[in-house]
Amino acid sequence: MDQAGYIYDDTLATVLAVSLELGRPLLIEGAAGVGKTEIAKVMASALGRELVRLQCYEGLDESKALYEWNYQKQLLSIQLRMQSQDSHQLPRDLFSDEFLLERPLLKSIRSEKPVVLLIDEIDKADEEFEAFLLELLSDMQVTIPESGTIKAKSVPFVVLTSNRARPLSEALRRRCAYLYIPYPDLDKELAILRTKLPHVDDRLSAQVALAVQKLRSSDVILKKPSIAESLDWAAALDALGIAELTPDALRSTAGFVLKNEEDLAALDTMEDLVPGSCGGSCSHCGGHDHG
Amino acid sequence: MADPRVYGAKLSAFSRMLRLEGLAAGPRETEDACRILIRLGLEDRDLVKTALRTVYAKSLEEQGIFDRVFDGFFLSEEAMRQLAREQAENDRRLEENRRQAQQDLTLNGQPMNLSDTQREVYATMPEEMREKLRSFMDRYRQNAERNQDLYNNFIHSVFQKTLMEQQIKMEDAAVGCASMDPEVGILYRDISQFQDHEIPKAIDTIQKIARQINSELSAKRKNRGRSEKLDFRRTIRKALETGGTFHRLRYRKKRQRKKHLVLLCDVSGSMVQFSEFALRFIQSLNNTSDSSRVFLFSEDMVEADPFSLQNMDLFRTYVKESGIYGRGTDLGSALEALCALRPAVLGESTTLLILSDTKTVDQPRAIRALAQAKHLAGQILWLNPIPENRWEYLKSAKGISSICTMLSCNTLHALTAACKRLAKM
Repeated sequence: MDQAGYIYDDTLATVLAVSLELGRPLLIEGAAGVGKTEIAKVMASALGRELVRLQCYEGLDESKALYEWNYQKQLLSIQLRMQSQDSHQLPRDLFSDEFLLERPLLKSIRSEKPVVLLIDEIDKADEEFEAFLLELLSDMQVTIPESGTIKAKSVPFVVLTSNRARPLSEALRRRCAYLYIPYPDLDKELAILRTKLPHVDDRLSAQVALAVQKLRSSDVILKKPSIAESLDWAAALDALGIAELTPDALRSTAGFVLKNEEDLAALDTMEDLVPGSCGGSCSHCGGHDHG
Repeated sequence: MADPRVYGAKLSAFSRMLRLEGLAAGPRETEDACRILIRLGLEDRDLVKTALRTVYAKSLEEQGIFDRVFDGFFLSEEAMRQLAREQAENDRRLEENRRQAQQDLTLNGQPMNLSDTQREVYATMPEEMREKLRSFMDRYRQNAERNQDLYNNFIHSVFQKTLMEQQIKMEDAAVGCASMDPEVGILYRDISQFQDHEIPKAIDTIQKIARQINSELSAKRKNRGRSEKLDFRRTIRKALETGGTFHRLRYRKKRQRKKHLVLLCDVSGSMVQFSEFALRFIQSLNNTSDSSRVFLFSEDMVEADPFSLQNMDLFRTYVKESGIYGRGTDLGSALEALCALRPAVLGESTTLLILSDTKTVDQPRAIRALAQAKHLAGQILWLNPIPENRWEYLKSAKGISSICTMLSCNTLHALTAACKRLAKM
């Protein structure tokens, strides 16, 4: 994980170790942009496995997630073999591997080498799809009516992510190890900024990290800025050649970190957010010079 | 490494405690936890806590419960020493208080007619409560000389009242909420206790929950059954993809009939804040009903202008200008007026939703009117901001809950559950 540049703490390392040790899928919840999906990518890289990703959305069903028959190919095959004498063999052939279109779930369990299976934003899928996943998550097998049950050749490390847009079923939760990722604290945020944006001035990174922390802890800000937004903000300030986060710089670039009108309006009411707005009386504004 | 059987026994007891707290800690979780403990041992308490939390707690809310139970079950050495010190100090203080109680609870040199439990409760009370009781007893002590029984009864009732106040205070404090994640904590706090600065956060939470419920309902409706009628057009169109073969037949979807919702909101004095939140919640649920009408009442009833329900400021202004704000509550009169409205507001396809704390003048009339409304409306659901455990002390709540379904909604969490139920009705 160090090599992949992912900043982690003891909790995350322990949870991942437990999940791997028990062979349980890992359900990760947290606000958008805290690095849930990134964990699967980093784990794939750390374990040297292929990442197979299934992006969930409303209406996702087994034909998009597990398998689909190649109907066009089946029809052509029927036409070609019309004259053939062996009429009993045809139905068997039509539902063989030759006509099976693999989707991410099937691909992950039929892979010879174990993979990391990322089922992203499971809360966006319908409840029926959750129920459909249960067989895969608990027994690492799937059932295709035409060809029977397929057991996993290798056990994938399954990572499910959710933004808590809707509560997931108890049955799904029970089959998974669980991790909640909160927003990072100041030190972790600063470490992320330093790792991901090494070219940005350290003092500016510290000021951005501190300002983002204050925005997140404020009651008046409704949509809390995520890590991705902190990174965008720091990168934008750097690209504009701004070396210090002054109130003017904050106002002109606030759109990178606050994404709705109410929050932008509330920004004017917030004091002590950036160096310079505190009148030099504070003791924690990112090391700027009051002198 | 310790004997795995020792871990097994410990973890079984731990799982049992978690189950008592509402977590689904089954044999599978215990087995997983056992495997983890065998691997990790018990030396590093924080590591064990994180690892077991991964196994047992399956949501952010459950993590809070798990941490509390874990801290109580697997005590650190320092915590054990601290606990022993506190216990010794408490025992010493209790013994001192018992001696003091013997002196305080006397009348004319004789011990008062109080049960052992009441004496024990007196000894465990905080000093300020004891002082309050002592001052009560001193103030009315001369009555004891005129009628000792009356004085004893009075002291008993003071004891009961003090105990009940103490219990209510503890419940209102919502133990543990302050230390919870603020987003979770606000769900479990009494709505009437929200401070002004918390209202935007609460509104945001309501909107999030409403979005969740809406998406759940729309997903359910979309997938809910089909009629037996074949949809020829969609079937033929789909068949074109497979060279004209009718591989999958398409059926017409069942049409869902939404219901009419009539809301009757109590806006007398203390009910305003609750009514605002509940209305906002229900209005956000666009899948709940086809149409809705909102009536506000205190001593009189008025129909709310839909524009006044758009935001909380407009709502407050509207309620104040309507002349019904801050007056008493007459539920019977409001319900009678509602039933008498022409053209009729209540009908078989109507769900009547009443938001009130059941405290009303002329209860018999209110109950009669409610029975009449029940006869006219398809269903009645009552959302009561008073916690369910206090209903037994309120005659009105007892009477009304026997006529219609009443749900306690003093917190946003309870309100969510009630709104889900309403949406599924």
